[in-house]
Amino acid sequence: MSAVASLLQRRPASLRVLSASGQLGYGIPDKALAQGVERRPDFIGCDMGSVDPGPAYLGSGEMATSPTITRRDLALVLRAARALNVPLMLGSAGTAGAAPHLDATLNMIRSIAKEEGLHFRLASIRADMHVERVASALRAGQLAALGGHLPVTEADLHSCEHLVGQMGCEPFQRALDLEPDVIVAGRACDTAIFAAIPQRLGFDMANVMHMAKIVECTSICCEPGGRDAMLATLGAGAFELESMNPARRATPLSVAAHSLYEQADPVSFTEPDGTLRVDNARYEALDGRRTRVSGATWEPARRRTIKVEGSALVGQRAVLLAATADPRFILALRDLLRDVETTTRALVPGKYDIFPRLYGLDGVVAWPDAGAPPPREVFVLVEVIAPDQGLALAAAKTFKQFLLHQGFPRRLCTGGNLAFPFTPPELAAGPAYRFAVYHVMPVDEHETLFPVHLENV
Amino acid sequence: MPRLIDTATVIRSKNAGPLTLSLDLMFPTEEAFALAAASPSLTAERLAALYGVSPRDVVVTPYPAAYAIKVALPRPVVAGSPGDRDVYGAQQHAPLLAIDL
Repeated sequence: MSAVASLLQRRPASLRVLSASGQLGYGIPDKALAQGVERRPDFIGCDMGSVDPGPAYLGSGEMATSPTITRRDLALVLRAARALNVPLMLGSAGTAGAAPHLDATLNMIRSIAKEEGLHFRLASIRADMHVERVASALRAGQLAALGGHLPVTEADLHSCEHLVGQMGCEPFQRALDLEPDVIVAGRACDTAIFAAIPQRLGFDMANVMHMAKIVECTSICCEPGGRDAMLATLGAGAFELESMNPARRATPLSVAAHSLYEQADPVSFTEPDGTLRVDNARYEALDGRRTRVSGATWEPARRRTIKVEGSALVGQRAVLLAATADPRFILALRDLLRDVETTTRALVPGKYDIFPRLYGLDGVVAWPDAGAPPPREVFVLVEVIAPDQGLALAAAKTFKQFLLHQGFPRRLCTGGNLAFPFTPPELAAGPAYRFAVYHVMPVDEHETLFPVHLENV
Repeated sequence: MPRLIDTATVIRSKNAGPLTLSLDLMFPTEEAFALAAASPSLTAERLAALYGVSPRDVVVTPYPAAYAIKVALPRPVVAGSPGDRDVYGAQQHAPLLAIDL
């Protein structure tokens, strides 16, 4: 009997959920995972993805994590889940959860299984959106930017290298119907990875979603926070949290504070299947390092929505890395950058963008005031984005040479204005992308949008 | 006048998705939280001026359960788009450090 079939038949009154990783592929801490496995969890879940690392991964189809460490982490959780014969749930495969990310993850899983002689039923869920489906939502006025400002046109949609939809629990339920041992989803809500099984077992959805929201980040909800495996025990009216690293304490304050993390609103979370509110949640210490949580509320969605993410190629990037310790050059730097850009554009024709960043002045924050006295040193990063790599590099090289030798009043450093850390100081950085779509779209046809496939490994 | 940097235990920023910047101010006690929650320096208008956005786009949400205040505002550049300075948005807390409550 498969791991899912066996769990659904057992129907435990209290469910032990082990979150092994908040972003698989950076190295799962072994010791805490082993501790978690000793507690005999009813299933193991791992998130693999995020939009945090920016648009490059969804655009390129590459993972943000190294293949070696990703494979190591996948092998760890596969071995653990198969040894216990419990379901393994993975979401947002390969960082961005589009077809190339999901396929690369599935290939790693098949290869690990072959190498280690593991056999299991593997369900996979695709999350790629057809551009025409999203375009029809745009035409119907049903595409809304999620926070912030991001106007989108049909041309923008067509310019995306990959378009994914972030699935909620529904596609996972169809995967559970196939009674697999392992479920690997493309782009998915972190919560769905941990909520689908308890939802299926009939646990109260408010507690289920609140638990899922917290454990998907493993021990980040602890004091001190960390990346160690986290155990949630879900009962009839509450759930309990415990880090699998004894040094990490889940306290009422640390768990409540986790609601703030990476959220625009700390008390209300809209998910594809409904809205979770935690403003009346109760957090009680069970001891110094375990907390019991209850009291959240859940309002099912009248119509399901999903988030659509798309990443478009904007060109090829070259970067110039240089620095200065000359106080007069630092004072003149902004004006000189404008002059050198004008010179560069006259000498290197073509359409490209130049983005200088002056670390020490305002490379990190667009300060609202002139502020502090000039620093002793400034790091100068010049980014060029052009339609082709050759042009981007050509502009960076010419920019470098003219900035190095640009004269200015009362100049002392006539040997050169810049210190280069190494040569060449201008580097080809490859394709540059942008998020062209980050929008919410109402959907009904989940079966078409998120197809499920089962294979025997 | 108490300074935010001396009153708060956490002053942090992070993206809430690539279009939104979220700022968290966390306080050690109910009293410190109450002081900050009532401060005229932490209104949407004042924070909007500090970050160069419209006050209409700034949402300030006190969260008493964690003695915390959440601020959400739109990012001027979508995370990771050309010209962005901070892809994760993890260093945009710095303008808050000079606030007097």
